[in-house]
Amino acid sequence: MSLTTHRVEFSGRAGTYFGIWIVNLLLSILTIGIYSAWAKVRTQRYLNQNLTIDGRAFDYHATGLQILIGRIIVVAAFVAYSLLAAIPLFAVVLPIGLIFLIPWLLNRSLAFNARVTSFSGLRFGFDGSYWRAFRVYILYPVLAVFTLYLAFPFVARAVRSHVVNGHRFGTARFRFESGIGPFYKAFLMAGLWAVGTGLLLLALFAPLLAGFDPSAFRTGTGDPDPRQVLAALVPAAIIVLAILPAGFIYQAFIRNAVFAATTLEGGHAFTSDIAPLRLVWIGVSNAVAVVFSLGLLLPWARIRMIAYQAAHTHVTVNGSLDTFTAAEAEKVGAIGQAYTDIEGFDVGLPV
Amino acid sequence: MSVFPFDGLAGEAYGPGSSRRHRAALIIAADSARLVDETGATLAEGRARREARIAGGPSRVVLPGEWVFECRDHGALDAALGPARGDWLIRAEAWHPRLIAVVAGCLLGVWLIWRHGLDLLVAAAIALTPPTLVEAIDRGNLAAVDRMFAEETGLPPDRQAGIRAIFDAIAAAAPPPPYGEYRLVLRDVPGLGPNAFALPGGTLVLTDDLAERFPDDDVIAAVLGHEIAHVSERHSLRQLYRSLSIYMLVALIAGDVGPVLEDVLLEGNLLLSLAYSRAHERDADALGIEIAARAGYDPAALITFFEALDRIAAPQGPAWRSTHPLSADRARAVEEMLSERD
Repeated sequence: MSLTTHRVEFSGRAGTYFGIWIVNLLLSILTIGIYSAWAKVRTQRYLNQNLTIDGRAFDYHATGLQILIGRIIVVAAFVAYSLLAAIPLFAVVLPIGLIFLIPWLLNRSLAFNARVTSFSGLRFGFDGSYWRAFRVYILYPVLAVFTLYLAFPFVARAVRSHVVNGHRFGTARFRFESGIGPFYKAFLMAGLWAVGTGLLLLALFAPLLAGFDPSAFRTGTGDPDPRQVLAALVPAAIIVLAILPAGFIYQAFIRNAVFAATTLEGGHAFTSDIAPLRLVWIGVSNAVAVVFSLGLLLPWARIRMIAYQAAHTHVTVNGSLDTFTAAEAEKVGAIGQAYTDIEGFDVGLPV
Repeated sequence: MSVFPFDGLAGEAYGPGSSRRHRAALIIAADSARLVDETGATLAEGRARREARIAGGPSRVVLPGEWVFECRDHGALDAALGPARGDWLIRAEAWHPRLIAVVAGCLLGVWLIWRHGLDLLVAAAIALTPPTLVEAIDRGNLAAVDRMFAEETGLPPDRQAGIRAIFDAIAAAAPPPPYGEYRLVLRDVPGLGPNAFALPGGTLVLTDDLAERFPDDDVIAAVLGHEIAHVSERHSLRQLYRSLSIYMLVALIAGDVGPVLEDVLLEGNLLLSLAYSRAHERDADALGIEIAARAGYDPAALITFFEALDRIAAPQGPAWRSTHPLSADRARAVEEMLSERD
């Protein structure tokens, strides 16, 4: 069998996506949120259909109605939860119940997402066991606290392993096997950046702020001290220059490690060669542009990020992409998906 | 390579249950279509249905047997099968100066939701709330207060009877109770100071400290009027549903605005809900003095109460300051309301 390497191609354009995004937003607002279910489908279809490997596109097959029903159930549950939580007995019982429900919801969300995504006309799938999800999403993160987060890379690896190993393309299973080294490397690099830059910023600002008393201004009537403005900038500078970049550095190393450690049944392999500092530049400039444009540049930022990631993702195919076949289809409702949408959890694979 | 399409549209086809890509041609006749591959073999035949299209993506045609034909010649398919469902959306979304109007429409829409949409959602949620649940909230909270903070009232029986008489007069003068009857509960709550609070189902709790510090019947009447107004106007449910509505709308709609702006919106919601809570306190003051006056008490006693509270409230901490307006401001506002009444 011959090996062929394909680059992932993304043909999304900022202008087109802006139109889709702003019309989605308008219709969602005018329908008090109801259209947001269809808006999600439209966005996903646009992004998936413009993502291709070897000229074969991804696609998204959920219907707006499916998503809407899931959302209505979850919103009703949220309301019931908040009302019942006003009763002290339930205020204790409900959160415990939710802890046990969350792994199920996350699994359902992964399964729904996989079921409605296709590539080359064939659907993905996800089978994950409840107790494995409970361990990786609830138990391990809690245990990691007792190691002062020093064991956190093990949690990160367990989550990736749960997500990747549960996925299949048709009947072909994805497989993830990785040592712990790359995860500690990502953790360490991000930590070094955050601590190093944070200390550097404090060292730079400290002499400028010497003798400055923030409480003096609330009562003072004199001219505003320029140091007041400077003091307000310190937290913003730490977020933009230390914490946000550390997040992107972590993301870059983890993504490269996960793709390198993943194979698809049949001898197919994946490569991601994201340059961490390049990702930092794109991510931070995106965030700044979005904030200063009051959100209007968000479509541009999103397309720019996906295009960069796609351009640095390769699939090495063993033989042909024509040989995958479908598995028994199982119906999955959109409740888990609705829950992760509302809570803003990002499950699934970074593609 | 490109000679193949035997009198049909060139494209790609995917069959059921396989990732195999076929070079294919779609030959459309009057009411049926035929999908053939390059060997001339028929892959599928029958009614062809176009799927909704999206900018940048192919046109997809579904044929019997779960065959899908993909092609980028949208115009040819429009001519043969008619336009795809929802094509007007693609035209509306196209990059064009008219999108500026869409942006303006979004801002106007947010304003409309803020002014009217939220009230509609809150009213709908209140209408759907089962009364038994609200009563259960009262019972549950009272039981918890009793278990953790409160003791039986230590007020002398005649004073208790006096307060109950005031309460009966106030309850009779108040708007009808939304959930079950109004109930007064007297408790000794050492940690709470001179205070009174209402649960959403109509249970009013008055502390011994308040009854002892303010022997004046008019003050008790004014305080009970204020608390009963919270219940009749369903203020606590309104606040709960309003902040929930905003949270859901932000999460569902602004989920597309990106993480940073979403956080800004949610933080803003927290501050706004405090302002909303203060507005409810002012409303309850206004309705409370109406009720007290209707029941035959002097509503001006509320001013005395706030002025006294202003002197002793400092150790009570931020509860009064954040969710409630400052006592001195409330005294002034009540004074204004009363002078307008006369």
